[in-house]
Amino acid sequence: MFYGSLFWEYLKNYAKTRLTYRADFWIEVLSDLLFQGLNLIFILVVFAHTDSLGGWSQAEVVFVYGYFMIPYGIHGCFFDLWGFSERYIVKGEMDRILTRPAHNLFQVLLENMNPPSLIGSAAGLVIMAVSWLQLDLAVQALDLLMLAVLTLGSTLVYFGLYTALTAIAFYTDAPTGILPLLYNIQNYGRYPVGIYNRTIRFLLTWIIPFAFVGVYPASYFLDRPEEGAASLALLTPLIGLAFAAAGLLIWNHGVKRYRGAGS
Amino acid sequence: MLAIDVELLQKRFVVQKNREGLAGAFKDLFKREYREVKAVKDITFQIPQGEICGYIGENGAGKSTTIKMLTGILVPTSGRLVVNGYVPFKEREAFVKGIGVVFGQRSQLWWDIGVVESFNLLRKVYRVPPQDFKRRLDELVERLQLGELLSRPVRKLSLGQRMRCELVASLLHNPSILFLDEPTIGLDIVVKTEIREFLKQLNRDHGTTILLTTHDLQDIEALCSRVIMLDDGTIIYDGSLELLKANWSKGREIHFHFGAPTALAALEQLTSGLGVQWRLDHELSAVMWLPSEINVSGALARVVGAADIRDIKIVETNTDEIVREIYKTEKVAP
Repeated sequence: MFYGSLFWEYLKNYAKTRLTYRADFWIEVLSDLLFQGLNLIFILVVFAHTDSLGGWSQAEVVFVYGYFMIPYGIHGCFFDLWGFSERYIVKGEMDRILTRPAHNLFQVLLENMNPPSLIGSAAGLVIMAVSWLQLDLAVQALDLLMLAVLTLGSTLVYFGLYTALTAIAFYTDAPTGILPLLYNIQNYGRYPVGIYNRTIRFLLTWIIPFAFVGVYPASYFLDRPEEGAASLALLTPLIGLAFAAAGLLIWNHGVKRYRGAGS
Repeated sequence: MLAIDVELLQKRFVVQKNREGLAGAFKDLFKREYREVKAVKDITFQIPQGEICGYIGENGAGKSTTIKMLTGILVPTSGRLVVNGYVPFKEREAFVKGIGVVFGQRSQLWWDIGVVESFNLLRKVYRVPPQDFKRRLDELVERLQLGELLSRPVRKLSLGQRMRCELVASLLHNPSILFLDEPTIGLDIVVKTEIREFLKQLNRDHGTTILLTTHDLQDIEALCSRVIMLDDGTIIYDGSLELLKANWSKGREIHFHFGAPTALAALEQLTSGLGVQWRLDHELSAVMWLPSEINVSGALARVVGAADIRDIKIVETNTDEIVREIYKTEKVAP
């Protein structure tokens, strides 16, 4: 309740600042969509040379991509802490956060809220719907419910991973290249994991489970029995909860080690 | 009741040692060396409710580290720490509701939105009831004359205006302890005086305990009944400002202005055996330094009879000089 009202206040303030810089807002939306569009074009180019990717058709891969964009957009809106180390640790803004009576991670997330990212989620939903029709899949009420549950699970996976890795900033003062690395790896989760070798598949499933942000949950709707991916899909919420909990633990432990900036 | 109770508080940091040069950087890549730095070494002090206490020391003496431990930002390495009835780092969110914090070097306010919007956001964060908030804001705004500033975005305020807004922001939830880390840094004398007056009144009217760090000893003289001086992580003085002056002030200076050119040797001749020191500014003006234990009248009598004096001025050593003296001597002592 308290956090709900705080969320609303921060959102209002976000709107107030953002509406004064309207051009900025649209440029951000545009560049976001352009980036996603390029990825989509890349998939289409690949399929101009081959009919299937590890046994997956173009429409199926595009469908997975559409699904991937939904949790990605939600993450970008609410949980993206890009630049945390620079702003809060090096410049010491964490001091201010820690002297206020609300959970520190929550405050940081609210300050970095970025609602334009949600437009990417909407675009993902449209892409999914279009490929859904192309694939001629049946639509059931249960599918919509599952979509919500799986999206929540995938978003939690994202949240947990990025929170844990952002918290590294509390443990070392040197900037690490881990976050950009992760940023690149996340793209691998959008393609059928069957095309990778076993090590990478294992990595994407259990260690940095980006397969649970894309291909596994999406295959729930595609009914592809051969790889057992659809049954792994049901694990998404559990993996999400586990990683989110681990992320929070690492964060809370890290905050105790916060050392502040000089002065 | 004690507002702040600190016992054998210690904070150590592990710092990475960077070796010199490219070769050193390369070595660091494989094997890092760490060394431990004690920023605060076993300090103990108590501050009763309603006191204004100045916390001074050179840069790097450990002032900010102490303040950050007292406000719950840093977790102490060892020692006991109770502030306002809480252990700050353990019950952080409950604890910070009862304190106000102003860091002179850092803003508490949101940069892009109007000042009053920042205040409203803080009202939500601190869960202050609307009526209390309004009453308090009106009082603070009137006291600090912020009326026309409230609608402006923080980035368009001058430093003095911003600082007054920071003070309001830290007091909206009516804290019983206020921590100020260099609140007057970079401000002009008018704003400084205004802020000092405001803090004094706040302490008088609301009984707010105030702990401030500063480099401006005028702040201390104007506000503090008590001074804690820190050097290299240890407390080297804790007591009243008067006592500090009395204990450390070793003498005073007497400035002479002569009617005729006077030689240094002649002056020294006059006061030989008294243990005073002379300094000649130019041939018509000289300064005599007199240790505390010697009477002014005795020294003056010797000079007055022998020289043509136009003017005499006796100067008490000021706090700045005393503190500079203490810093210097403490540096030499192991």
